[in-house]
Amino acid sequence: MKLSGSKGVFLWGVTGFCVLMLSLPTVIVVGASFTSGDIIAFPPQGFSLRWYSELWQLASFKAAFWRSLYVSLICTVIAIPVGTLAAIALSRYRLRARTALQVILLLPFTIPLVVSGLSMMMMFGEVRILGQLWPVGLALCVINLPFMIWSVAASVNAMDPELENAAASCGAPPVQAFFTVTLPAVTPGVITGALLMFILAFNEFLVSLFLTDSRTVTLPVEIYNSIRSVITPDLAAVSVVYIVIALVAVALLDWLVGLDIFLKSK
Amino acid sequence: MAGAVQKARWALLDAVEMLARIVWPAPLRGALGWAFLAPALILVGILVIGLGQMLETSLHELNLATYRLGDAYTLANYATALERPVTWRVLARTLGGAGIVTLVTLLLAFPYAYLLVRTGSAWARKFLLVALFLPFFIGQVVRAYGWLIILGREGLLNSALKAVGLPAQDFLFAYPTVLFGLVQYMLPFAVLLIIPALSAIGEEVELASESLGARWPSTFRHVVLPMAAPGLIGASVVVFTLTLTDFAMPEILGGGTQDFFASAIYDSFFQISNAGLGAALSILLTLIGSVIVAAVFMMAGTGTLGFRGGRR
Repeated sequence: MKLSGSKGVFLWGVTGFCVLMLSLPTVIVVGASFTSGDIIAFPPQGFSLRWYSELWQLASFKAAFWRSLYVSLICTVIAIPVGTLAAIALSRYRLRARTALQVILLLPFTIPLVVSGLSMMMMFGEVRILGQLWPVGLALCVINLPFMIWSVAASVNAMDPELENAAASCGAPPVQAFFTVTLPAVTPGVITGALLMFILAFNEFLVSLFLTDSRTVTLPVEIYNSIRSVITPDLAAVSVVYIVIALVAVALLDWLVGLDIFLKSK
Repeated sequence: MAGAVQKARWALLDAVEMLARIVWPAPLRGALGWAFLAPALILVGILVIGLGQMLETSLHELNLATYRLGDAYTLANYATALERPVTWRVLARTLGGAGIVTLVTLLLAFPYAYLLVRTGSAWARKFLLVALFLPFFIGQVVRAYGWLIILGREGLLNSALKAVGLPAQDFLFAYPTVLFGLVQYMLPFAVLLIIPALSAIGEEVELASESLGARWPSTFRHVVLPMAAPGLIGASVVVFTLTLTDFAMPEILGGGTQDFFASAIYDSFFQISNAGLGAALSILLTLIGSVIVAAVFMMAGTGTLGFRGGRR
């Protein structure tokens, strides 16, 4: 398609502005993390890795990082089977009340995060599991589950339903058909969803704020608490950790399923 | 050797098959979909039960003598919430903000998504996708922190202003800054939701319109825009509800002076320790959001939000 002339100028103009807006904070954070000064200033004073070495000595951030990793893994491990099965069921089986089911499964999206977080805080307090780490992972899985179902559902819909019938008519019993035909076909969606779940859980701040205390605080909450006091360059170094992880995730996504998967029409 | 492995695999598969038949006999086959759905429904059930508890809490008034919630059921918290002028002020700020952010985000996201779908250059496409996903994968807190560095009193923007001889400005803790941060946060969501609708439009449709003499702005308006409606609906619903309920951006970039509704809920729970009032505000926010979403869905369908995508 021709994207030249006034159309091209318009499209690239708006998009260029968006790209600038999207990447500016990232670029600035990376730049600020390499300053040798004690405060964040522009242009940065000198170049040093001192804030990274100081960061590595900050026990609180290190501990928070490992907790975040643990919580995100729990969230992902729960989401993979639960979301995959739900997506297959929604797209493949004729269920009564499909619309109602979709509404129910979209609830984590429609209930405000602040309300979901506080609700689960109250509920986890009631059953006395507040203050542990695994319920945080479970809660993050609940609020992000639609992303998982969504990714897998896209893969299921892209699959030719006749494939399963063909397997069956060739004599494959149901379990075999499921493992040899259905699962491989939905794998790209599962990978995409799992990566999304991990990254979203790793970044999720508000629900974690309610479900953690000073002993179980996760990295985004730790950063938030620090932002509210003084802005020092060590926070920029922490943020770079996030940027690196995001880079890895994008690269993984591109390598395993291809970023173009998001360009297909559903 | 390979044959033995193969044989073992078949034996295993047969065993699993047999087990499956015992655990899930054929007459139950029709219910298999429900069995697949059960875990997801249980997880969402946690949320529903929590919400029920929230509703229950909202019906008990704080007893100022004991500082505990009373036993009697009452609508007093809702009355208090609706009587306080601050509720309405914050609600107006939140709803207005959500409206503005949705509009601006869609205006920016639509050309971005269009270019992404239609560009012939694989390199440009990859660049735009990475530029989109990277911030999407960097959480709200880190992004807000980046804006603090840029917009702060001693930040990048003020340094630039000073360099050209202009006085420094206070960008932070202002309403437009909060909205700007929110637009930046929502942009990837909007683009990703518009893309499926746009890529469902055949290029030949646009070419046909242009070969019939329409200039691109009218093709855009009369062909692309209506056909992309499901994506625009999905994107606007998501951006609107996420903004309506956001906490971090108003807190960090607004510095507590630009409270959104979520902050009001937070304060009721943790600043004035009135869980009953906080719960009532929570239920109100959920209702407002749900009513708006339901109204959009009823008038315009679920757009690209359904689990089966944009096709209906």
